[in-house]
Amino acid sequence: MATLPNVPVPDSQLVSRMAAGEDAALGELYDRYGKMVYALALAIVREPADAEEVVVDAFGQAWRQAASFDATRGSVGAWLATIARSRALDTVRARGRRVRAHERAALLSDEGLAAPITTAGSDPSRGVERTEARRLVSQALAALPGPQRTAIELAYFEGLSQSEIAERLAEPLGTVKTRIRTGMEKLRGLLGPLLEGAA
Amino acid sequence: MTSHEWQEQAAPYALGILAPEERRAFEVHLAGCDECRADVRAYTEVAAALAHAAPTAEPPGALRDRVLAEARRVRPIGAGAREPRRARLPWLAAAAALLLAAGGAMATWRLTTRVHDLERSLAVRDSVHAADSAALVLLTGPDVNVVSLAGTNRAPSARVIWNHALNRFVVFAFDLPAAPAGRTYQLWAIAKGRAPLSMGTFNTDGQGRARVVLTVDRQIAALGFVENCGLTEEPSGGSPQPTETPRLLGAWLPTD
Repeated sequence: MATLPNVPVPDSQLVSRMAAGEDAALGELYDRYGKMVYALALAIVREPADAEEVVVDAFGQAWRQAASFDATRGSVGAWLATIARSRALDTVRARGRRVRAHERAALLSDEGLAAPITTAGSDPSRGVERTEARRLVSQALAALPGPQRTAIELAYFEGLSQSEIAERLAEPLGTVKTRIRTGMEKLRGLLGPLLEGAA
Repeated sequence: MTSHEWQEQAAPYALGILAPEERRAFEVHLAGCDECRADVRAYTEVAAALAHAAPTAEPPGALRDRVLAEARRVRPIGAGAREPRRARLPWLAAAAALLLAAGGAMATWRLTTRVHDLERSLAVRDSVHAADSAALVLLTGPDVNVVSLAGTNRAPSARVIWNHALNRFVVFAFDLPAAPAGRTYQLWAIAKGRAPLSMGTFNTDGQGRARVVLTVDRQIAALGFVENCGLTEEPSGGSPQPTETPRLLGAWLPTD
């Protein structure tokens, strides 16, 4: 069977169509990023029901604020991830039950959060790019010294401030700040190709 | 701080893990530093890419429908303010044409008139509705700051609403006598430790009232939040800096 040439609409165009009130564009954006947003939400809130709530809220916010999306300030993927992470952290804070250190310790094993890369999901056409992104990010994180990776993961997935991280890890604040900064600098270098593609 | 020290803030800022006072200080710095803004942009992408490090998880199939159902309940900000659609009642017009074909000229004339009346009233209702939604969109939302400016005695007063999402100030003034010829009123965003930034100029009408919408200047938008808002009278066209002590002054209420 012949397939039509697949010319994907740029993400930013989907967002413009959303701003004009076209809900099909939101559906398309969900098809591209729903899985990533859900996985991110789940990693932060840890409960599937809460993660679903976060996904609905995050795409709802993206829908309402589509007109204020500014492509010069970053990619659509980064915009969505930033919204979703912030809603997920709000949920955790609202619940008032931060994931305890020992629970998190199980997740932050030697291999870190990046470990459980599975094969591409059941989403062959759309999954390819996402899977490639996962591979690059996991490789980049794995290339960091363990303490840098742990500090960054605590910051990103738990929203801990630098002093909270220092407290959690029983390390001096200055050390934690340096680890985060150095780690992020390395990630910036390692993820260059991926981020250029996203911009 | 040296420029090098500022640059060290870009990564933790992008991760959203600076302490509130550090964050505010850095945002003020960002407003005037292209280099740091570029760093923040790059680190925001790096931080967002970390989302891919979350363990894979398959969202339930019904979630897509929930996302879309939620979207159908609310319109995107701004979408409600588009050009009002022209109200048309094609089926009534068609019915009128049928009657005409049947020869009922008088009835047809009445019916056609009625159709036109209905079309007109629908068009009016549509445009009123569009104006209302545009005003509501400007005045409401989670991302709106309000400041009330009061004089030392009862009148005059003013209220300014800062809609961050739409980048607009909505200004209401009451009992403020119109500035004389060659003069204008000017609003100032007054942030701690900075020279006042002009928010724009306006004048009141014969009743001492004004209702104006001003676009938020880039420099002010970059500050995100300022402590105070003041009003002075200036020569027409406005001044680069206020030339008198504010006649009206108020503190912005934070969004959260």
